[in-house]
Amino acid sequence: MNDILLRHLEVTNFRSIKGTIQAPLDAKMVLVHGENGAGKTSLLSAIELVLTGRVISLQRADPQYMSQLLHRSSAQGAADHGSIRLQTEGMPGENNFFADINQAGVQTRATLTDSAASFFSERCYLPQSLLGQLLQIYQDSDSAPDSPLSRFVTELLGLDRLDAIETGLAPVADLRNLRKTTELYGQVEFEKSQLERSLAEHRRTRDAAQKALDVALSELNTARSALGLSDAVSEANFEGVSTELQANPEEAVLSDFHDRRRRLEAIAREANRDADAGTQQDETSLAAAHRRASERLRVWKQQFEEPLQSLRTRIAHVLPDVDAAPLGSREYQRVALASLRERKKQAGDRSGRAAQDAKRQADINDELLAARKNLQTIDDEIARIAANSGALGAILAELTSFISNDTCPVCDRNFGELDNGSLSDHVNHKVRDLSGSAERLLGLTRNRSSQQEQIDRLERESAEIQSRALTQKDIIDLDRQAGALDELISDLERVGPAMDDGEALAADETAARRSLSGYQSRNLARTAAMATLAEFASNLNQTALDPLQTTQQVVVQLLTFIDERISAQNLRIAARSRARDALGQARVEFARRKDADDRFTAEQTTFRSADNALKRAARVRADAQTIKNQVESVRSRIIGKEFNDRLNRLWRDLFVRLAPNEPYVPAFRVPTESTHRLQPKLITTHRAGGAGGTPGAMLSAGNLNTAALTLFIALHLTVSDQLPWLILDDPVQSMDDVHIAHFAALLRTLSKQHRRQIIIAVHDRQLFEYLKLELGPAFEGDSLRTLELSRGLGADTLCLPDRRSFRHETALRFVA
Amino acid sequence: MTGSLLITGLVKRLKAAGYQELSTPFKVASVDFEFTAALRGTAGRGLDLVLIVDTATGDHGDRDATKVRQRVEALSRALDITGSRYVLTVILAGASLRGDIEALSATCRVLTIEHAALDRAGDPIGDAEAEALDDHIRVLLPLDLRAEDATEALVGDPLAELLSALPVTVDKELVRAVSEASINGEDAVTRALGARLEQVLSEEEQP
Repeated sequence: MNDILLRHLEVTNFRSIKGTIQAPLDAKMVLVHGENGAGKTSLLSAIELVLTGRVISLQRADPQYMSQLLHRSSAQGAADHGSIRLQTEGMPGENNFFADINQAGVQTRATLTDSAASFFSERCYLPQSLLGQLLQIYQDSDSAPDSPLSRFVTELLGLDRLDAIETGLAPVADLRNLRKTTELYGQVEFEKSQLERSLAEHRRTRDAAQKALDVALSELNTARSALGLSDAVSEANFEGVSTELQANPEEAVLSDFHDRRRRLEAIAREANRDADAGTQQDETSLAAAHRRASERLRVWKQQFEEPLQSLRTRIAHVLPDVDAAPLGSREYQRVALASLRERKKQAGDRSGRAAQDAKRQADINDELLAARKNLQTIDDEIARIAANSGALGAILAELTSFISNDTCPVCDRNFGELDNGSLSDHVNHKVRDLSGSAERLLGLTRNRSSQQEQIDRLERESAEIQSRALTQKDIIDLDRQAGALDELISDLERVGPAMDDGEALAADETAARRSLSGYQSRNLARTAAMATLAEFASNLNQTALDPLQTTQQVVVQLLTFIDERISAQNLRIAARSRARDALGQARVEFARRKDADDRFTAEQTTFRSADNALKRAARVRADAQTIKNQVESVRSRIIGKEFNDRLNRLWRDLFVRLAPNEPYVPAFRVPTESTHRLQPKLITTHRAGGAGGTPGAMLSAGNLNTAALTLFIALHLTVSDQLPWLILDDPVQSMDDVHIAHFAALLRTLSKQHRRQIIIAVHDRQLFEYLKLELGPAFEGDSLRTLELSRGLGADTLCLPDRRSFRHETALRFVA
Repeated sequence: MTGSLLITGLVKRLKAAGYQELSTPFKVASVDFEFTAALRGTAGRGLDLVLIVDTATGDHGDRDATKVRQRVEALSRALDITGSRYVLTVILAGASLRGDIEALSATCRVLTIEHAALDRAGDPIGDAEAEALDDHIRVLLPLDLRAEDATEALVGDPLAELLSALPVTVDKELVRAVSEASINGEDAVTRALGARLEQVLSEEEQP
């Protein structure tokens, strides 16, 4: 075991210590006594300050505590300077520590290393505030993140800073929260998105301009190639073509061609005035054709004129009104044939009807004879029936109601005498007969009238036929006339084709004669027109004309030539105009593209810087996330390492020492499942085994204090001792005598057997005296220091040191 | 070794823990004191005087609480008179009344043990029973730190451990600002984060 010792402390004007005190600490056991406010706590925290450069318990109470370190005298002219000087022994490295305190704070020289400082703050020095917390953890020992236990574990292990980092960095998880940490973030983001949109807009504008420029240039090139300028221009050199598009040479050429066209049209009109649209024939051939036509007509006349003329005379005899038509006319044939056929039909009809009438007259005569016979029979029948039979029947019917027996009511005779049935049957029979005769009379009368009607009709028809009956001579004439007409029709039909030929031949002859005479009058004008056209063509640099062509063909040919030239010039003019337009468009789009490019370049720089700024921020965010994640794993590691079985075993040992009769002992249990924040849980176990409730529920108040105190000592002992110091600030405030006695025994054990240097401050005089006795030196080299702090009103703090050394015990005498 | 099994066991256990058995009776300030058993510590515990009272089967008036108290008080006074620094611990082996224990506690440290499961030689019959026996007199026994399985001391400062666990690529300025701010709580950390973000956001572009 190393002998690292706190040797001497000098404190000036620190907290409640006024003036300078000298506190020798060169003993394994240092007892500090003082009334409340005398400076015990200041003395102990002076050790922490000078060793670690800070006072954790003060810091937690007030982050600005550094400016409160200097002693505040009630008198004016308070001290403006303080210091702490600490000598140690056996430390590797520095053994002299010094802190200079002024209004602003403290300057320390040669503090402990970080890990040693943490060890000191966490496991060597138990300030009252921490003990208070230890007690508090039992009141509410759940494992919520903000429970006193969690706070204790957190602070004990120095995890509060880790927690602060973790919670403080929580906004990085959500961008919305992250934006709240600095307004600039949102601003830069907004700026970036604005620029992004703006840049996209410029890019679109540029693309559109580029596309339009390409289109304009390709249009320009197309138009220029139409003008015969084949060298393609690009956006680099398109400005140069503006001069070549200035002039308009096509206008003059075009107007020249228009003039020529008008002249040609005039020539054409002149030539057309006499020219025929028909074929151009030579005069001789025309004359020959005329001769041939005349000859053919003469031959025909020779053959057909005579018979045709006699036929006509015959027809004229029958049809005196069909005469005026010329010989051989097709029209004559048609009219004559139609008339002849009509006549023939009429004659046929009349003779046919006469024959029919004669036959019908004979039939009617027979029918009349039969009808008259029938009429006579009906009249005879009617005459046989009494005309009054109906009336008699009615009277007899009425009489039947007066007949009751066979005695006749009219003649009073007994009908039974006749032996011919009863009288009433007889009368009834008579009545039926009479009414039957009446019905028959009615039917006969109807028959008679219809018979009479038929006779009347037949007599009328007979009279009609007789009125139109022809004489026998008339009928024979009709038959003869029809035969003559038949003959004429067949003659006419036979000579029809010959008449047609004659008509065609006559027409041919007439046409040939007309052609010949027309040609003869035209020939002069054509020669003149062709000469004019030949001259015109040579003016147009056209080759010699084909003499076989008509003037019209020549004119059309020349017109086509001129129209081609005109349309070519028009195309050139249009192309030039298009080229000018395209050039103008290209200029506009070029400027637009340049403008977009300029804007893009200008804004891109700003955009990049915003983007980079955000990227840097994102890296910081990611780093913060890394830190945050690491906090979790470090915390879990620390807690897992700290709250282990060894701690529980030590704690149990210490607790049982101080509370041997308490069946329940406190313990930590670290949940094995991984949770967001790993937190140990405080439980109790029964000494004989089995789980108890939470310490707050299972332990008495005194034992809770014991549990708190022993927990701190266990934590001190559970790791290898970097600094073998235990500095306890009034740890037994609420302990009863029994516990204090056990506690004193524990301190003794720690001091004497485990060589811890123990500094303990108490305010109770009696306790101080007791501990002085209990903790006295037990062996050679063992020692006890006491320091009594006191302060008069307004006076400097006093520190009275005392030292006890070991001396041999002689009290015990053994009898044997 | 004429005492009961429990006394035998206790003495055996204490001797194993470095105590010396004293022959009784012994004299302090010319007065004889008779106890069922008495032991004295050695080395660091040289001032520990342990007296065992057999309240169940003992002689010397051990079964009468008043007499026991009188005897212990007499011894205490005798030690005071001689200026001795011995620290007295009385172990009441066997059942005792609570009031009697409290009365005795005013004079000295009192431990009690009613029963222990021991074999004939006075040794605990098992580990659990040994532990139970120890629990009653633990304050007299040395601490078993079992240094060999003491965990390595932590790096110390959890913050330092965090810093050492962070990859080197992490933004150093952020780490510095955040760890400085952590002492002032989470809001300060958030502010530090915000400040660092603002810083990188407003950094001038390197040309």
